[in-house]
Amino acid sequence: MNILLLLIPISLLFLAGAVWLFFWAVDDGQFDDLDTPGLVPLDDTDARGKSS
Amino acid sequence: MQSSGSCWHCGEAFPASVVIQARVAGIERSVCCQGCRAAAEWIEQLGLAHYYALRTEPARKPEADADPAAHTSWHAENSRHVIRDLGEGLRESLWLVEGVRCAACVWLIERSLGAMPGVVSVQVNAVAQRVRVVFRDATTSLPQLLQGLARTGYRALPVDARGLDDLRRRESRDALKRLLVAGFGAMQAMMYATAIYLGAAATLDASTRDLLRWLGLLVATPVVLYSARPFFAGARRSLTARRMGMDVPVALAIAAVFAASVLEAWRGTGEVYFDSISMFVFFLLAGRYLEMRARHRARDLTDALARLTPPFADRQREDGTLQRVGIHELRVGDCVRVSEGGIVPADGILMSERCRVDEALLSGESAPVTKRGGDLLMAGTVLEEGPVLVRLERIGADTTLAGIAALVGRAAAARPRLQVAGELAAGRFVTRVLALTVLTAAAWAAVDPTRAFSAAIAVLVISCPCAFALAVPAALTRALGALARRGVLVVRPDAIQSLAECTHALFDKTGTLTEVTLSSDVQTFRGASRDEALCLAATLARESRHPKARAIAAAHAGLHAAALSAVATQAGLGISATVDGRLLRLGRADFAMAGKLPAAEFEDAVLLADDIGPIAAFRMSERLRPDAGAAIEALRAQGVTVLIASGDAPSRVEGIAARLDVAWRARVLPAQKLAWLEELRAGGARVLAVGDGVNDAPVLAGADVAIALAEGAELTQASSDIVLKGARLTAIADARATAQHTLAIVRQNHRWALFYNLSAVPLAALGLVPPWLAALGMSLSSLGVILNAMRIGRGAASPPRARQQLPAETSPRAAAA
Repeated sequence: MNILLLLIPISLLFLAGAVWLFFWAVDDGQFDDLDTPGLVPLDDTDARGKSS
Repeated sequence: MQSSGSCWHCGEAFPASVVIQARVAGIERSVCCQGCRAAAEWIEQLGLAHYYALRTEPARKPEADADPAAHTSWHAENSRHVIRDLGEGLRESLWLVEGVRCAACVWLIERSLGAMPGVVSVQVNAVAQRVRVVFRDATTSLPQLLQGLARTGYRALPVDARGLDDLRRRESRDALKRLLVAGFGAMQAMMYATAIYLGAAATLDASTRDLLRWLGLLVATPVVLYSARPFFAGARRSLTARRMGMDVPVALAIAAVFAASVLEAWRGTGEVYFDSISMFVFFLLAGRYLEMRARHRARDLTDALARLTPPFADRQREDGTLQRVGIHELRVGDCVRVSEGGIVPADGILMSERCRVDEALLSGESAPVTKRGGDLLMAGTVLEEGPVLVRLERIGADTTLAGIAALVGRAAAARPRLQVAGELAAGRFVTRVLALTVLTAAAWAAVDPTRAFSAAIAVLVISCPCAFALAVPAALTRALGALARRGVLVVRPDAIQSLAECTHALFDKTGTLTEVTLSSDVQTFRGASRDEALCLAATLARESRHPKARAIAAAHAGLHAAALSAVATQAGLGISATVDGRLLRLGRADFAMAGKLPAAEFEDAVLLADDIGPIAAFRMSERLRPDAGAAIEALRAQGVTVLIASGDAPSRVEGIAARLDVAWRARVLPAQKLAWLEELRAGGARVLAVGDGVNDAPVLAGADVAIALAEGAELTQASSDIVLKGARLTAIADARATAQHTLAIVRQNHRWALFYNLSAVPLAALGLVPPWLAALGMSLSSLGVILNAMRIGRGAASPPRARQQLPAETSPRAAAA
């Protein structure tokens, strides 16, 4: 069972990392609008090569 | 929308005059005007011609007067209010965009703005019709950006910068974070708990068991202290207000179970419930999150500022011509023209002789009020008869707007009745459980004091209000989503309940059940030519949104006659105006002849007449919408009595009604329609009203549940509960079936939650439920509720088109464009 002493801290680190990443994504506005991106066509051909 | 007969860009019919050619993607396309040509060629120049392949709706016709001066004039004075400084030369601005119609619009706006120099990021929210732009102040300026967008045919209005950090965004971000922390916490706590539960059967040495319990405490602490904070805050609010909301018992339960578990972990005895408590918080938060999203969505559709005051106004220049300007550009003393069914943009003095307005939003009085010249018109009132001229007295923040916006904000934030009832039930339930917990503890204290504490906590844990709390939001969210996919936009969530319960359906005929087109044989009198008569009629018809008027206006797309004055409309009758010093009337024969006895042959015609006599008679060919028969049949199959009320001639109504085999009344004015509706309601009926025109607004406002067609007048949409996109009438019966299914599911969910609790709580009180079973029971009961709600909207008719459509395209602004 001693392996738990290593694995559990690692899992907690992962957890903290995941929460941090998610908080960053929320603050970045990635979840502000869940409707529009689904409507935007999946077409990315852009003559100018500049994407918004 | 190919080149046959309609404009390549905007889809409107060609005027009789010369057709203009635009070159897009190497092919000559016919367009209707220079504005469309410029827009099409500009899109082509940007390399964005792909838009035409992607779009599902024709584009908006560009403004004829898209002159750059209009954009620069207000820049200096207003830019401070509409731009937020992000530092490092970056500026942010939020615009309300008119004319976002389909997914390709989002694509086009993002690309065309993104391609402009100095633009850092563009975010388009199609549903709310908002564009958020971040740009570099050194390279570009707001007027330049607006002008660039105007060239592609969209008019944008910068919204007050205070709207940038809206509460709403913070609310949804906060809720999402709390939900996620609770979710992660619940998963981790569950893992440690599972190890304890399984280890209890096999061999698990005491130190490992204690370690796992401490770890459970570690992950559950942020859940209780961070995620569950809204419950504690709500409970404190309720207590200071001396009310018993749902938050009070929930907060008490969370605090009690958590404290007990911490105590047991400290003592190293008994049971800990860190997994159950985290899951409890997670499920409750999930219910709240769903409810919040449904509320925000409804708010997008009824957005206070966007809906109560129009983003654009028609300002009269000194020479009498009109100029379309953003509402921010208006100044005190400006003269603004408001058309019938339109909304007064700011407080002002009525310059026209008289008019009737609907001040329901201000006074709560649903009957229209008559105003005379010199009276004050308030911003946000809806013009029932028009058009009128208004000289502005108070603008912007000085108007009653602020008050109104707060009012409507409150109305939109109000929770649906269903939701409130569900919360009340859950609140009562939790209160009873708390009482039961105390009872259990007392009973065990008498029998076996060592087990009193653990049994009481077990009761608290296993009784699950989550299932109650989730029952309504899960079902409502699912129902609103399923309906929106079918083109039925529910503006007020209460409508789901009313729709399911309605017994009668009252349809308007013209424009709702039927489509109107002008038939080609125009009868003229006194030597007037067909074109001449049509030109005069179209000039008048342009002032009204009645389907017949629109048909006449659409038949003559060319030049207008000279400016008209003293325009007055009478709902249900017709419109009169002075053109070149001659008083003309267009409308029902008896109205047009101004009391003189009209010939019987004009009974079903729209007559254009002056004081001498008729000038021309227009006949409409009216055909039943292709799906009207099926729609009424479907409603009847559900046991709904279908009725038709029309202002049209009896002969016409009878024909239609006979084909549909429904009861009808003809030649009824709006007030009479309303009287009929009251009569039905007095007889115990719950009435669903369907309409599209301004004359239907009183009926829609008075009905139990109102459905407006998206292409109809703004006033009609403002007084409706549900907006029907694309005039698909069969969707009404579908929506009613979905609404009934939703109510049935909510009832099932409540019964299921009750059954679970009634069977589990006594067992827990007797001390027969181990913690692992409590956790399992709680999650399964909540899961059952959610899975049950997922059944809503399944198996009903699939959407008419596979391509994605946009709810926003039906917003009142777009419809008015």
